[in-house]
Amino acid sequence: MASLAITLGSGAMTNCIADTTKTDLFLMIGSNPDTSHPTIGLRIHQALDRGAKMIVIDPRKTAFAERADLWLSIQPGTDVALLNSIMQVIIKEELWDRKFVEDRTEDFDELVRVVEKYPPEEIAPICGVTPEQIRQVARLYAAPGRHATYHGMGITHYATGTDRVKSISNLALLCGKVGVEGGGCNPLRGQNNVQGACDMGALFNTLPGYGGLSNDELFDQYEKLWKVKLPRRPGKPATEVWENILKGEIRALYVFGEDPVLADTNINHVREALEEVNFLVVQDIFLTDTAKMADVVFPAACFAEKDGTFTCTERRVQRVRKAVEPPGEARPDWMIFSELAARMGYEMRYSSAEEVFEEVRQLLPQYKGISYARLEQEGLQWPVPSEDHPGTPVLHKETFTRGRGLFVPENYLAPQEPVDGEYPLLFTTIREYARYNFSSMTGKTKAIDVIAPEALAEVHPNDAQRLGIKDGVMLRLTSRRGTVDIRARISERTQEGTISAPYNFAETPVNALTLDALDRLSRTPEYKLCAIRVEVLTAH
Amino acid sequence: MSEINLQINGRAVTAGEGSTILAAAKAAGIHIPTLCSVEGKSSEVPCELCRVEVAGLAEPVRACATPVAAGMEVDTESKELVAHRKERLAVLAETHFGDCKAPCNLTCPGQINVQGYIAHVAKGQYAEAVRLVMERNPFPFSVGRVCPRFCETRCRRLLVDDPVSINHLKRFVADWCMTNKVDLKLKADSPTGKKVAIIGGGPSGLTGAYYLARKGHDVTVFEAAPKLGGMLRYGLPRYKIPDNVLDYEISTILRLGISVRLGQRWGRDFTLESLQQQGFGAILLTVGANYDEPLNIDGGALPGVIPALKLLRQVNEGSPADYGKRAAVIGGGNTAMEAARSLLRRGAEEVTVVYPRAKTEMPANQRNIREAETEGVQFLLMASPIKVKAAEGGGLDVELIRMKLGEPDAKGIRYPEAVPGTSIHLAVDTVVVATGQSACDGTFKGGSLEEQLELTPKNNIKSNPRNFQTNLEGIYAAGDATNGPRSVIQSVVAARRAADNIHAQLLGLPKEPAESRFNFSRGKSFEQVDLANFEGIRVKLREKMPARPPERAVQDFNEVSLGFSEQMAKNEAERCLSCGCNAFDRCDLKRLAIEHGVDPNKTGMGSKPTYQRREDHPTITVDLNKCIYCRNCANSCEYRAIDLRAESFDDRGRAQNISLTFMEHCVSCGKCVDNCSTGALNKKDQIIPIVGEETRLVRTTCPYCGAGCQMNLKVKGDTIIEVTADPDLAPNYGALCVKGRFGFHFVQHPDRLTKPLIRQGGQLVECSWDEALSYTAKRFFDIKAMYGPDAIAGFSCARATNEENFLMQKFMRTAIGTNNIDHCARL
Repeated sequence: MASLAITLGSGAMTNCIADTTKTDLFLMIGSNPDTSHPTIGLRIHQALDRGAKMIVIDPRKTAFAERADLWLSIQPGTDVALLNSIMQVIIKEELWDRKFVEDRTEDFDELVRVVEKYPPEEIAPICGVTPEQIRQVARLYAAPGRHATYHGMGITHYATGTDRVKSISNLALLCGKVGVEGGGCNPLRGQNNVQGACDMGALFNTLPGYGGLSNDELFDQYEKLWKVKLPRRPGKPATEVWENILKGEIRALYVFGEDPVLADTNINHVREALEEVNFLVVQDIFLTDTAKMADVVFPAACFAEKDGTFTCTERRVQRVRKAVEPPGEARPDWMIFSELAARMGYEMRYSSAEEVFEEVRQLLPQYKGISYARLEQEGLQWPVPSEDHPGTPVLHKETFTRGRGLFVPENYLAPQEPVDGEYPLLFTTIREYARYNFSSMTGKTKAIDVIAPEALAEVHPNDAQRLGIKDGVMLRLTSRRGTVDIRARISERTQEGTISAPYNFAETPVNALTLDALDRLSRTPEYKLCAIRVEVLTAH
Repeated sequence: MSEINLQINGRAVTAGEGSTILAAAKAAGIHIPTLCSVEGKSSEVPCELCRVEVAGLAEPVRACATPVAAGMEVDTESKELVAHRKERLAVLAETHFGDCKAPCNLTCPGQINVQGYIAHVAKGQYAEAVRLVMERNPFPFSVGRVCPRFCETRCRRLLVDDPVSINHLKRFVADWCMTNKVDLKLKADSPTGKKVAIIGGGPSGLTGAYYLARKGHDVTVFEAAPKLGGMLRYGLPRYKIPDNVLDYEISTILRLGISVRLGQRWGRDFTLESLQQQGFGAILLTVGANYDEPLNIDGGALPGVIPALKLLRQVNEGSPADYGKRAAVIGGGNTAMEAARSLLRRGAEEVTVVYPRAKTEMPANQRNIREAETEGVQFLLMASPIKVKAAEGGGLDVELIRMKLGEPDAKGIRYPEAVPGTSIHLAVDTVVVATGQSACDGTFKGGSLEEQLELTPKNNIKSNPRNFQTNLEGIYAAGDATNGPRSVIQSVVAARRAADNIHAQLLGLPKEPAESRFNFSRGKSFEQVDLANFEGIRVKLREKMPARPPERAVQDFNEVSLGFSEQMAKNEAERCLSCGCNAFDRCDLKRLAIEHGVDPNKTGMGSKPTYQRREDHPTITVDLNKCIYCRNCANSCEYRAIDLRAESFDDRGRAQNISLTFMEHCVSCGKCVDNCSTGALNKKDQIIPIVGEETRLVRTTCPYCGAGCQMNLKVKGDTIIEVTADPDLAPNYGALCVKGRFGFHFVQHPDRLTKPLIRQGGQLVECSWDEALSYTAKRFFDIKAMYGPDAIAGFSCARATNEENFLMQKFMRTAIGTNNIDHCARL
């Protein structure tokens, strides 16, 4: 998100899900919506059924890869090189949208300067594809038509995640594919309200609505409304909290609805930090592994027990409505915050979630025209600048949020942890369709256990033969950080040389293996790639 | 796309070019019956219901397959069309095989959704089970202990092994809620401003009060006794219903906001007229049958001869009276059994029940008779008392005469007749008379209204069985006061129906139509049920109610039956065969058949199973015996993952040898179930039939991935029953994945956190909110004071709402004073 905010001015999906009916060509890169966003995957499949074309760039042989017009099974972690090379071809063959670039973008020369170093002949071997494939992608995508890019965690879950997103944005700007129906740059947001949590300013480096910490005028507005002096020093991102705890800089941690003991990379490190921290408060619906380590646990209401709004991946703000009572003494989170603030000597009194929303729309220009009354029937896509504005299905139509689209070319950096003699295989995490995150929610439905009973590590048949791995045996995967035991499934879906496993099983915490190298802009960790070695534990 | 103007049923309608008559009518709010049209697609084997007449065309056309044309005149409801639809529905119904309602539900006098509450038990939703029972019976504790269990006599499990122990399950859930201090959160409607007086605080009176209070009326109960409960407290001994249980049960009812006036006797402290003057718009008489019919024989009034109700009242009030070592109980009803068993507990060594007929003809519940017998009560049958006199040396001498059955009378009933010269003598200390009870001794006293109150020949209050009105306007009567002693559940039913009538009359509402008796059945009697229905069901005997041994039980008034454990209840609930259809509330075949007045009892329905029920899909059960081959499942599947075929079609167009296969790429999203026009497809986890209970649809946003799918939570009481989606709503237009449609069980999972926890001595222990919040505030405050605000960091939550994320960052930036706030956007 951080990248699109820089290049286009809004860190969000530029288009909407319904646009899939208008798209002529999908460029799907590092995303498998069949498992991560099933209903969006369905709409894209239906678009392909109706004749839309598709290019898939993914090491993994997803269902989309199988039916794509063109599939590049690239070497994991080499997307930036590939994208730069594609742009090199587009510029060299003069396929780019000259008018769009001239009228609506800036720093084109920068782009040319960087990408000219990426000719297909040199880049193809790095990416594990052929030069011809790179040219094919360039020609297909740059051709006239409504062409959309879709990307997911396969792009962002790298220490170079933001470089990749910028590269995708560069490509879309270069070909003039942004600001049109059926086109755009479309990141698929993982969690139900990631978009909203970002919009609301639950970020270390921005106020609500993405206002920077250096924007004094904005601070004045907030301080006037909130009647308090606000800190302007930048905060620490979540991923840096652990080392800061171990260094003694952070002494208390308030964890709301997250389970870093399971979810973060290099979880052994997280556990160590949580044992160290002086005071840990956890607010959740279950006694998670993190909550078990807490000093105080607040029982919270879940989505079905409270009112509010979520903002989904297409920027659509939609209502959440109370259907049943919370169990026991559990309370809606907004009530807990109000009460705690009052006891800290700061009044945050609200009588309903709607009242909180009224404050949000007072402060956030994107939400200004949205009210609960307007959301009664159907959600609205931000920005909604006024009460009579119908919402914005497609961003950047006339002009970019930031004015002109900015080319931010980046050079390719190799993945942080290449294979070597000791750790000769790559490891990557995937998602299980029927499960969500660490199954604290989906694990409570019996049928889901039937559909997806246990985590399986996918091993390519060639690797299996070479390493003597049979389908169904127990494997022990070891990285420099940890170990996990997991059953093997021989599958052609995973690329030769890479073992893939879902991270959705709490009892098989594959994040013990993953790398906590962070992206330098967004501070996202490199979930998607690390080096491992594998041992066969049992014969059955 | 150009607009086309046409007329449907004389109404001008505009539709887009290319749309069908069916779609145009739907958009205009005109309902054309169809069973096979889903999302613009209709079956390759059409149901033929949607035929409409188009002016100028000789034959009716299918609305689903005929595009609109300019100037078209359509008639959707001519007599011929309705007749045609009736015929088609009857044809489809002929092969539809299943039960709409379960036999237990149909047999219960209270029409309680028995299968529903058993299913709630199986799912561990005990509070919801109690709420479901209380929709029709506010006495789950008492009825769960004393019900004659009409339902169990019709339980089809009998054809496999034993009937399900239904009543013990009812008692279990009620007791569980009491033990676990569950607040049932029963809510009353907003106040109507109408006042209702209820005379008599027994099961009928409190039932009436409960349902009237739920409707928002201002209810006052007048009770002559010092405590509420009526026969439950003073007529049934404590070994049947312990005091604490009854107190809890009554307090649950009163919590709705019911006024109670204790020690107020009708005719002495108030009259009907005085109540009317106080503004009570309606009066419900539920005084019970408290008048013991006297023993009309010589010596029937001697000291030592006491009416049964008086005895039971003394016993229940703990009076120290001495009844001696030997007692006779005259009568064979339930009151006689309780009197006999109470006497044993009060030290009688020999208790003899005297009855003029055989044991099987006693009006008491046979289970009660067996229990009395196990405890040592003796029975002197085919005998009747003719005289009681004081015996020499104390005690009473009861002279009895043997009886025999006489010749059948005109109606074929054989009455007992005395056999002359067969007198026998019984030496006892006490004679208890339990020959019958009525509402009064011939008149009610108090005022002119009381005198005008019309009675039945048996001295009960006469009330109209349809609306429970007495001969006096605004005055109603129900329960034992109108028909003599009956089971608690029968009193409850009468009072509930009386309350419905009072409610309708007070608010001037039309009386709610009686529930439709429409029902498909796999067999009304056990003989009619094909045993092939139970193929593959393994024998699993019923759980036995744990009880105290009789020799111990008779020594005190503590409860005899001890109740099921949770595991026993679960085992027992899982024995339920779930006869009734879980699609009861969504079945289009039933709805259309009722709308068209089709009665499959007359036109025919399936009589034996053709297909085996299937459970092999992870989320869906398949019962092709109910399939009418509308093909909605296959046509609504956006993944084209259902292979539905029929080998052939019979002469009336019905599919034969249907096969339904979920293909390998089925993603278990369950959309096909939501579109099934009958109960052929069901969600495996939706085992609670909704039989007329109120449910709410709450539209909300899916809590899983970022797609933002809109979904409807179907909520009953405080439980999410299932999830569906609206096909017309962005962004998902009716699509949901397996997580969205089936992954909601975490919401009401027992592992949810219910109380704040605080670490003490290394352990997390429960504490109050006040303690948790104060402690947290203090620790944050201290750390902030010592190390500065940046020594505190917060993680917000990408799963929680915007409002909550906003407040979390606001809290960190204001109350703490740091920008150390972030969330898992990157994870």
